Amino acid sequence: MPPVTRWFIKTGIIWFALGVTLALVAELPNVQGSALLLPVYWHMLVIGWITQVIMGVSIWMFPRKKRNRKKESSSLATGAYFLLNGGLIIRFLSEPFLPLVTNSDIVPVVVIVSGILQVAAIMLFIAEIWPRVQPKKKLKRKSGRA
Amino acid sequence: MPVQSVWMIRLSLSYLLVAILTGAVLLVHKAVPIHNAIWGLLPVHYEMAIWGWLVQFVMGTAYWMFPRYLKDKGRGSTVLAWSVVAIMNLGLWLLLASYVTDEYLAIAGRGFLLIGTLLFAGLMWNRVVSYRNRR
Repeated sequence: MPPVTRWFIKTGIIWFALGVTLALVAELPNVQGSALLLPVYWHMLVIGWITQVIMGVSIWMFPRKKRNRKKESSSLATGAYFLLNGGLIIRFLSEPFLPLVTNSDIVPVVVIVSGILQVAAIMLFIAEIWPRVQPKKKLKRKSGRA
Repeated sequence: MPVQSVWMIRLSLSYLLVAILTGAVLLVHKAVPIHNAIWGLLPVHYEMAIWGWLVQFVMGTAYWMFPRYLKDKGRGSTVLAWSVVAIMNLGLWLLLASYVTDEYLAIAGRGFLLIGTLLFAGLMWNRVVSYRNRR
Protein backbone atom coordinates (compact mmCIF):
# COMPACT_ATOMS: atom_id res chain seq x y z
CA MET A 1 0.00 0.00 0.00
CA PRO A 2 1.61 3.32 -1.03
CA PRO A 3 1.97 5.96 1.71
CA VAL A 4 -0.55 8.30 0.07
CA THR A 5 -3.19 5.56 0.22
CA ARG A 6 -2.63 5.24 3.96
CA TRP A 7 -3.02 9.01 4.31
CA PHE A 8 -6.25 8.98 2.27
CA ILE A 9 -7.79 6.12 4.26
CA LYS A 10 -6.74 7.33 7.71
CA THR A 11 -7.85 10.91 6.99
CA GLY A 12 -11.11 9.48 5.61
CA ILE A 13 -11.71 7.64 8.87
CA ILE A 14 -11.09 10.87 10.81
CA TRP A 15 -13.63 12.78 8.64
CA PHE A 16 -16.10 9.92 9.14
CA ALA A 17 -15.76 10.15 12.93
CA LEU A 18 -16.04 13.95 12.83
CA GLY A 19 -19.12 13.75 10.56
CA VAL A 20 -20.91 11.36 12.90
CA THR A 21 -19.93 13.53 15.89
CA LEU A 22 -21.31 16.59 14.14
CA ALA A 23 -24.58 14.78 13.41
CA LEU A 24 -24.84 13.94 17.11
CA VAL A 25 -24.10 17.53 18.17
CA ALA A 26 -26.71 18.87 15.74
CA GLU A 27 -29.36 16.62 17.35
CA LEU A 28 -28.66 17.84 20.90
CA PRO A 29 -31.38 20.03 22.45
CA ASN A 30 -30.61 23.76 22.65
CA VAL A 31 -28.07 23.59 19.81
CA GLN A 32 -28.82 26.51 17.53
CA GLY A 33 -27.97 26.67 13.85
CA SER A 34 -28.16 22.92 13.20
CA ALA A 35 -29.26 23.65 9.63
CA LEU A 36 -25.96 25.49 9.04
CA LEU A 37 -24.10 22.30 9.93
CA LEU A 38 -26.06 20.12 7.50
CA PRO A 39 -23.91 20.80 4.38
CA VAL A 40 -20.78 20.30 6.50
CA TYR A 41 -22.07 16.96 7.77
CA TRP A 42 -23.02 15.71 4.28
CA HIS A 43 -19.71 16.73 2.72
CA MET A 44 -17.71 15.24 5.60
CA LEU A 45 -19.36 11.89 4.86
CA VAL A 46 -19.60 11.94 1.05
CA ILE A 47 -16.31 13.70 0.17
CA GLY A 48 -14.24 13.44 3.35
CA TRP A 49 -15.07 9.78 4.03
CA ILE A 50 -16.52 7.78 1.09
CA THR A 51 -14.88 9.58 -1.84
CA GLN A 52 -11.55 9.88 -0.06
CA VAL A 53 -11.41 6.15 0.78
CA ILE A 54 -12.33 5.30 -2.84
CA MET A 55 -9.54 7.61 -4.04
CA GLY A 56 -6.96 6.03 -1.75
CA VAL A 57 -7.91 2.44 -2.52
CA SER A 58 -8.09 2.99 -6.30
CA ILE A 59 -4.65 4.67 -6.32
CA TRP A 60 -3.39 1.52 -4.59
CA MET A 61 -5.31 -1.20 -6.46
CA PHE A 62 -5.80 0.01 -10.02
CA PRO A 63 -3.25 -1.34 -12.51
CA ARG A 64 -0.24 0.88 -13.03
CA LYS A 65 0.84 2.08 -16.45
CA LYS A 66 4.21 0.41 -16.00
CA ARG A 67 4.03 -3.02 -14.41
CA ASN A 68 7.54 -2.93 -12.99
CA ARG A 69 6.97 0.43 -11.28
CA LYS A 70 7.13 0.25 -7.49
CA LYS A 71 4.06 1.11 -5.49
CA GLU A 72 5.24 4.59 -4.67
CA SER A 73 3.07 7.68 -4.40
CA SER A 74 2.79 9.79 -7.55
CA SER A 75 2.93 13.58 -7.37
CA LEU A 76 -0.62 13.75 -8.80
CA ALA A 77 -1.99 11.55 -6.00
CA THR A 78 -0.04 13.43 -3.32
CA GLY A 79 -1.24 16.76 -4.73
CA ALA A 80 -4.84 15.48 -4.78
CA TYR A 81 -4.55 14.48 -1.10
CA PHE A 82 -3.25 17.84 0.13
CA LEU A 83 -5.56 19.95 -2.06
CA LEU A 84 -8.66 17.93 -1.13
CA ASN A 85 -8.05 17.96 2.60
CA GLY A 86 -6.82 21.56 2.61
CA GLY A 87 -10.00 22.51 0.72
CA LEU A 88 -12.23 20.54 3.08
CA ILE A 89 -10.66 21.98 6.25
CA ILE A 90 -10.98 25.55 4.95
CA ARG A 91 -14.54 24.87 3.79
CA PHE A 92 -15.75 23.36 7.05
CA LEU A 93 -14.24 26.23 9.05
CA SER A 94 -15.75 28.95 6.85
CA GLU A 95 -19.01 27.75 5.20
CA PRO A 96 -21.19 27.67 8.38
CA PHE A 97 -20.22 31.29 9.12
CA LEU A 98 -21.40 32.66 5.74
CA PRO A 99 -24.94 33.57 6.92
CA LEU A 100 -23.64 34.78 10.29
CA VAL A 101 -20.93 37.19 9.09
CA THR A 102 -22.77 39.04 6.34
CA ASN A 103 -20.58 42.17 6.39
CA SER A 104 -17.29 40.32 5.96
CA ASP A 105 -15.40 40.22 2.67
CA ILE A 106 -12.92 37.62 3.90
CA VAL A 107 -15.28 34.71 4.66
CA PRO A 108 -16.80 34.54 1.10
CA VAL A 109 -13.30 34.67 -0.43
CA VAL A 110 -12.12 31.85 1.85
CA VAL A 111 -15.18 29.75 0.90
CA ILE A 112 -14.48 30.29 -2.82
CA VAL A 113 -10.81 29.33 -2.33
CA SER A 114 -11.93 26.11 -0.62
CA GLY A 115 -14.10 25.28 -3.64
CA ILE A 116 -11.20 25.88 -6.05
CA LEU A 117 -8.93 23.61 -3.98
CA GLN A 118 -11.51 20.78 -4.01
CA VAL A 119 -12.03 21.04 -7.79
CA ALA A 120 -8.26 21.04 -8.35
CA ALA A 121 -7.90 17.95 -6.14
CA ILE A 122 -10.52 16.00 -8.11
CA MET A 123 -8.88 17.02 -11.40
CA LEU A 124 -5.50 15.71 -10.18
CA PHE A 125 -7.12 12.46 -9.02
CA ILE A 126 -8.84 11.96 -12.39
CA ALA A 127 -5.55 12.71 -14.20
CA GLU A 128 -3.89 10.00 -12.05
CA ILE A 129 -6.58 7.33 -12.42
CA TRP A 130 -7.95 7.85 -15.96
CA PRO A 131 -4.95 6.33 -17.82
CA ARG A 132 -5.00 3.37 -15.42
CA VAL A 133 -8.61 2.48 -16.31
CA GLN A 134 -8.02 0.45 -19.47
CA PRO A 135 -8.89 -2.96 -20.87
CA LYS A 136 -6.30 -5.58 -19.88
CA LYS A 137 -4.89 -6.22 -23.38
CA LYS A 138 -4.28 -2.54 -24.08
CA LEU A 139 -2.53 -2.09 -20.72
CA LYS A 140 -0.28 -5.12 -21.29
CA ARG A 141 0.74 -3.86 -24.75
CA LYS A 142 1.67 -0.46 -23.31
CA SER A 143 3.63 -1.85 -20.38
CA GLY A 144 5.48 -4.17 -22.73
CA ARG A 145 6.63 -1.24 -24.79
CA ALA A 146 7.82 0.72 -21.74
CA MET B 1 -10.09 -4.88 -16.52
CA PRO B 2 -13.24 -5.81 -18.53
CA VAL B 3 -14.41 -3.22 -21.01
CA GLN B 4 -17.77 -2.83 -19.18
CA SER B 5 -15.86 -1.81 -16.02
CA VAL B 6 -13.74 0.61 -18.05
CA TRP B 7 -16.94 2.28 -19.26
CA MET B 8 -18.56 2.36 -15.82
CA ILE B 9 -15.46 3.71 -14.06
CA ARG B 10 -14.66 6.32 -16.72
CA LEU B 11 -18.30 7.47 -16.80
CA SER B 12 -18.25 7.68 -12.98
CA LEU B 13 -15.07 9.80 -13.07
CA SER B 14 -16.75 12.11 -15.60
CA TYR B 15 -19.81 12.42 -13.34
CA LEU B 16 -17.51 13.13 -10.39
CA LEU B 17 -15.97 16.02 -12.31
CA VAL B 18 -19.39 17.46 -13.22
CA ALA B 19 -20.66 16.95 -9.64
CA ILE B 20 -17.66 18.75 -8.12
CA LEU B 21 -17.88 21.59 -10.67
CA THR B 22 -21.61 22.14 -10.03
CA GLY B 23 -20.84 21.94 -6.29
CA ALA B 24 -18.18 24.63 -6.70
CA VAL B 25 -20.61 26.87 -8.61
CA LEU B 26 -23.17 26.41 -5.81
CA LEU B 27 -20.54 27.20 -3.19
CA VAL B 28 -19.48 30.37 -5.02
CA HIS B 29 -23.16 31.38 -5.31
CA LYS B 30 -23.58 30.79 -1.59
CA ALA B 31 -20.59 33.03 -0.87
CA VAL B 32 -21.35 35.71 -3.45
CA PRO B 33 -24.98 35.45 -4.68
CA ILE B 34 -25.06 35.45 -8.48
CA HIS B 35 -28.56 34.34 -9.56
CA ASN B 36 -31.30 32.38 -7.80
CA ALA B 37 -31.58 29.97 -10.74
CA ILE B 38 -28.19 28.53 -9.72
CA TRP B 39 -29.92 26.62 -6.91
CA GLY B 40 -31.44 24.56 -9.73
CA LEU B 41 -28.04 22.87 -10.00
CA LEU B 42 -28.42 21.33 -6.53
CA PRO B 43 -30.19 18.12 -7.69
CA VAL B 44 -27.66 17.73 -10.54
CA HIS B 45 -24.90 18.03 -7.92
CA TYR B 46 -26.17 15.37 -5.54
CA GLU B 47 -27.79 12.93 -8.00
CA MET B 48 -24.59 12.86 -10.08
CA ALA B 49 -22.45 12.48 -6.95
CA ILE B 50 -24.53 9.54 -5.63
CA TRP B 51 -25.75 7.67 -8.74
CA GLY B 52 -23.20 8.82 -11.30
CA TRP B 53 -20.04 8.76 -9.20
CA LEU B 54 -20.35 6.57 -6.09
CA VAL B 55 -22.79 3.87 -7.21
CA GLN B 56 -21.42 3.46 -10.71
CA PHE B 57 -17.77 3.43 -9.57
CA VAL B 58 -18.53 0.70 -7.01
CA MET B 59 -20.48 -1.33 -9.61
CA GLY B 60 -17.67 -1.08 -12.17
CA THR B 61 -15.00 -2.04 -9.66
CA ALA B 62 -17.04 -4.93 -8.22
CA TYR B 63 -17.72 -6.38 -11.69
CA TRP B 64 -13.96 -6.26 -12.34
CA MET B 65 -12.57 -7.47 -8.99
CA PHE B 66 -15.02 -9.98 -7.51
CA PRO B 67 -14.04 -13.67 -7.88
CA ARG B 68 -14.66 -15.02 -11.38
CA TYR B 69 -16.54 -18.24 -12.11
CA LEU B 70 -14.27 -21.28 -11.81
CA LYS B 71 -15.83 -23.05 -14.79
CA ASP B 72 -15.05 -20.58 -17.58
CA LYS B 73 -13.01 -17.91 -15.72
CA GLY B 74 -15.69 -15.45 -16.82
CA ARG B 75 -17.54 -12.66 -15.03
CA GLY B 76 -21.05 -13.68 -16.08
CA SER B 77 -23.19 -12.45 -18.94
CA THR B 78 -21.56 -9.56 -20.82
CA VAL B 79 -24.98 -8.68 -22.29
CA LEU B 80 -26.30 -8.27 -18.74
CA ALA B 81 -23.26 -6.18 -17.78
CA TRP B 82 -23.77 -3.87 -20.78
CA SER B 83 -27.48 -3.65 -19.88
CA VAL B 84 -26.55 -2.47 -16.37
CA VAL B 85 -24.29 0.26 -17.83
CA ALA B 86 -26.98 1.44 -20.26
CA ILE B 87 -29.94 1.26 -17.86
CA MET B 88 -28.18 2.94 -14.91
CA ASN B 89 -27.04 5.84 -17.11
CA LEU B 90 -30.42 6.16 -18.83
CA GLY B 91 -32.07 6.22 -15.39
CA LEU B 92 -29.72 8.95 -14.17
CA TRP B 93 -30.29 11.11 -17.26
CA LEU B 94 -34.08 10.75 -17.03
CA LEU B 95 -33.90 11.68 -13.35
CA LEU B 96 -31.82 14.77 -14.15
CA ALA B 97 -34.18 15.70 -17.00
CA SER B 98 -37.14 15.50 -14.62
CA TYR B 99 -35.83 18.52 -12.67
CA VAL B 100 -36.09 20.76 -15.74
CA THR B 101 -38.95 19.20 -17.73
CA ASP B 102 -41.70 16.79 -16.71
CA GLU B 103 -41.59 15.61 -13.09
CA TYR B 104 -43.12 12.27 -14.20
CA LEU B 105 -39.74 11.54 -15.81
CA ALA B 106 -38.47 11.12 -12.23
CA ILE B 107 -40.65 7.99 -11.89
CA ALA B 108 -39.17 6.58 -15.11
CA GLY B 109 -35.65 7.57 -13.99
CA ARG B 110 -35.99 5.99 -10.55
CA GLY B 111 -37.61 2.95 -12.20
CA PHE B 112 -34.64 2.46 -14.52
CA LEU B 113 -32.24 2.89 -11.58
CA LEU B 114 -34.17 0.18 -9.72
CA ILE B 115 -34.09 -2.17 -12.75
CA GLY B 116 -30.34 -1.50 -13.19
CA THR B 117 -29.73 -2.22 -9.50
CA LEU B 118 -31.69 -5.49 -9.64
CA LEU B 119 -29.86 -6.59 -12.81
CA PHE B 120 -26.54 -5.77 -11.12
CA ALA B 121 -27.58 -7.83 -8.09
CA GLY B 122 -28.43 -10.74 -10.39
CA LEU B 123 -25.14 -10.35 -12.23
CA MET B 124 -23.03 -10.32 -9.07
CA TRP B 125 -24.95 -12.62 -6.69
CA ASN B 126 -23.11 -15.85 -7.49
CA ARG B 127 -19.73 -14.10 -7.55
CA VAL B 128 -20.01 -13.17 -3.87
CA VAL B 129 -18.18 -16.34 -2.91
CA SER B 130 -14.93 -17.69 -1.51
CA TYR B 131 -13.19 -20.51 -3.36
CA ARG B 132 -10.89 -21.30 -0.43
CA ASN B 133 -11.37 -24.55 1.51
CA ARG B 134 -13.89 -25.84 -1.02
CA ARG B 135 -14.56 -29.54 -0.81
